[in-house]
Amino acid sequence: MEREEFTLVRDMLRSFATRFRADSPDDVEPSTRATAQRALDELGLTDLRRTSPPAATVQECALLAEEHGRQPLTTSLLGTVLLAPELLRLLAADERPESPHGARPTIALARDLRFPGSAAATNCVAWDCEGADGALYVDAEGGVTHVEPGPPAPTADLLRGVRRASAAGRPVGRLTPQAHQRWQAYALVVVASELVGAARSFVEQSVAYARERHQYGRPIGSFQAVQHLLADASALAEACTSATRYAAWSLDNEPPDRALTAARVAKAEVNASAVEAVYAGMQVFGGIAQTWEHVAHLYLRRILVGATLLATTADLLPALAAPEADPTIAREATR
Amino acid sequence: MTGTTDVPLDFGDPADLERLRQDFRTWLADHPLPERGADEPLPLFLHRWHRQLHSGGWVGLDVPQEYGGRGLTALHQVAVSDELGARGAPGVPRIGYLAHALLRFGSEEQRRRLLPRMLRGDDVWCQGFSEPGAGSDLVGMSTGAERRPEGHYVVNGQKLWTSYAQYSRLCLLLARTGLPPAPGSADGAGTPAASPHTSISAFVLPLDRPGVTVRPLRAANGDDEFCELFLDDVRLEESERIGSEGDGWPLAMTTVAYERNALDTGHLSKYGLLVERLRRAADERRGTLADGLLSDIGRCAVDYQVLVAHARRRTAERLAGQGAGPESSVDKLLMTRAEQRLYETALKVFPEELYGEGADVLSDYFYSRAASVYGGTSQIQRNIIAKRLLSLPADRRA
Repeated sequence: MEREEFTLVRDMLRSFATRFRADSPDDVEPSTRATAQRALDELGLTDLRRTSPPAATVQECALLAEEHGRQPLTTSLLGTVLLAPELLRLLAADERPESPHGARPTIALARDLRFPGSAAATNCVAWDCEGADGALYVDAEGGVTHVEPGPPAPTADLLRGVRRASAAGRPVGRLTPQAHQRWQAYALVVVASELVGAARSFVEQSVAYARERHQYGRPIGSFQAVQHLLADASALAEACTSATRYAAWSLDNEPPDRALTAARVAKAEVNASAVEAVYAGMQVFGGIAQTWEHVAHLYLRRILVGATLLATTADLLPALAAPEADPTIAREATR
Repeated sequence: MTGTTDVPLDFGDPADLERLRQDFRTWLADHPLPERGADEPLPLFLHRWHRQLHSGGWVGLDVPQEYGGRGLTALHQVAVSDELGARGAPGVPRIGYLAHALLRFGSEEQRRRLLPRMLRGDDVWCQGFSEPGAGSDLVGMSTGAERRPEGHYVVNGQKLWTSYAQYSRLCLLLARTGLPPAPGSADGAGTPAASPHTSISAFVLPLDRPGVTVRPLRAANGDDEFCELFLDDVRLEESERIGSEGDGWPLAMTTVAYERNALDTGHLSKYGLLVERLRRAADERRGTLADGLLSDIGRCAVDYQVLVAHARRRTAERLAGQGAGPESSVDKLLMTRAEQRLYETALKVFPEELYGEGADVLSDYFYSRAASVYGGTSQIQRNIIAKRLLSLPADRRA
C-alpha cells in the first residue's frame, strides 16, 4: 500500500474501534459481538493478505493488529482477516488446496493455545472465531487440516471467541518447511502486535488518568514515584513496539529463518514486558482498576492469555539461548 | 506517546545493505584486525584500529562527503557496526555523537576543519561535560568561561569523568558564559523559561593549552579510563566556541541524545559478542547449567536483540525526519537494562572470574554498573520521560 492508502485504512480501523469498543465486560453480548463483526467485515480488510503478492505488507498488517489491540474489541481481525488468509496464501504458493475449505475460516491451535507440538493431537481449539465458520489447523509437520468448530471453550480473555474442535479434520495441504517457518513467524508477529497495541493504549490511559486524578491536593502524576512507574512502563511498551515492528519488517525483507528468530524475540519481549506495563498502569489507576466495570481487567486478561498464546516465555527462552547458526559468527565467537 | 511513528518505517534496502556488507567483508579479509600489544593501552589500540578502518572508508559513513564522510545513511553505518560485532572486532570508533553535534552546531569553517580530522583519527576527542558538583545535573555546572573585552575567553573550573582525556588532543568543553542559575533548579530535562539553559556555551579545547591539567582516576574495575580535568586561567579564542553563546545546552542535549542510543556508541557489537559467548557456553555445558541459567541467557539474547531492533527503529525514525530528542531517554533505559542483566548473567556463567581466572568479564561487569549512572542517571532519564514524553505535571517541590 502507498503510505496515504495505509493511513486511510488505519484511520478507518481506528474509528471503527472507537465506535465498537467494549466499555465494560457487560457490553460483551452475542448480539453486540455479531454487529461489531459485521461492521468490521464491511471495511473489506480480508483481502489484505489473500492475494499473491499480498495487498498489504506484514509491517502494515502488524500496525493494523496494533490498532485493533488498542481498544477492548470482540471482533476477529487476527484470526479471520489476517492469519487464515495468510495461511491459505502460503499453502497456495506451494500447492493449490485440492478440496474447498470453509468460506470464512479462522485458525485452530493446540488446546493450550500454543502452536501444536509434535505429539499427535486429537483435540484443538478454534481460536478467535467470531464470525468464523471453520478453522485451519497446522500440525507440527506443517500439515494443514480444516476443522469444524464445536461448542464454546472457556478462556480468561472475555473478548475473544474460542471454540472446541477435533484436530482430525479434512486435510487441506501441507506447508513446505520454509512456508511453515514463515507461518509461525507471521502468527507470532501478528499476535504480538495486538498485545503491543493493548499495552501501549493502557499505559497511555493510565498516564492521562495520572494527570487528572488528585490526591493530597495535587495530581498524582506530579509525584515522582508515580512518574517513574509510568516512565518504566512506557519504556517497556517502547521495547515491545520496536521488537514487533522490526520483526514484521524482517518478514517482508529477510529469509524465513531470520524472520522467525526476530518474531520469537518479539513475542518473548511482549510476554514479559506487556504484562509488567499493564501492572504499572493498574497501580496508577488504583482501586478503580480492581472493579468489574473498569476496562483494566479486560486489558489484563487479553495480555495474560496473550502471553501464553502460540509460544510461552518458557518455550522461547531456551530456544533463543541456542548459539547462532551462522558459521562466521560461531567461528569468531569461539576465539 | 510523542515521538512515535505509527506508519511503516524504512529499515533500509536489504540488497543495498547486503552489498555494503559484502564490500566490507572483502576489505576485512585483506585488512585483518591488528594485534593488541601486551602493554598497549586500550585507547591506543582502538586508535590504530580507527585509522585502519578509516583507510578503507569505513568511518563516518553517514557524514556528508564535504566533511570527510561518505554521504550514506545511518543504516549503512549500522550495517558496518553489525559486521564488526559479528566478527568480534572492536566496535566502530565512538565519534558519532561528537560528529552530530559539530554537524548541527559548528560553523562551516569548523565543520570543514574539524570533522575530516576527527573521522581520520588525527584528532582524538574527549567530552568535558560532568563536574564534581554536577554530574547528571548539567544545570549545576560551575566551570566558567569569562569573556574579556579583547574578545577571548578565560576558563576556570574542573571537569570529571572525562573518558581517556590523557590520550586525547581535543575536548568538547561545556562552560558557563552567563550567570549561574538559582540553586535547586531543573533535572536535566530542561524548562524553556529557565535561564540556565541559555547560559552554557560549548568550546573546542586543545588539551595542550596552558592551564590545562589532566589527571587519570582509577575506576572500580581498575582501569584508568576516567580523568579529572583542571582548568586554570585557560585562554580560548572566540573562534573556538561552537555555535553562539548559550548554544551549549541544545548542543549537549544533541550529544547525549545520540550517546544514549546503543548504536551511536558502538556498544551493540560488544553486547552481541558476549551474548554469543554465553550461548556457546550454554551449549557446551548442556545439562549441567544451574537452574534457570539457560533462561537467563535466553533473556539476555532477547534484551540484546530487542535493543538492536530498537536502535534500528530509532535510526529509521531519524531518517524519516525525527531529530534525536527526549525519546533517547527510553533508549538509555533499555540499553542499561540489557547491559546490566547481561554482565550479571555472565558472572554467573563464568564464576571463575570472581576467583581470579580471566578478568575481562569482571572488568566489564563493573563497567556495566556505571551504565545507570553515566550519560544521565536512570532516575534522570525517568524524569525526562515523565516530563517531556508523557507530559506529566511538574513536581511542585522541584
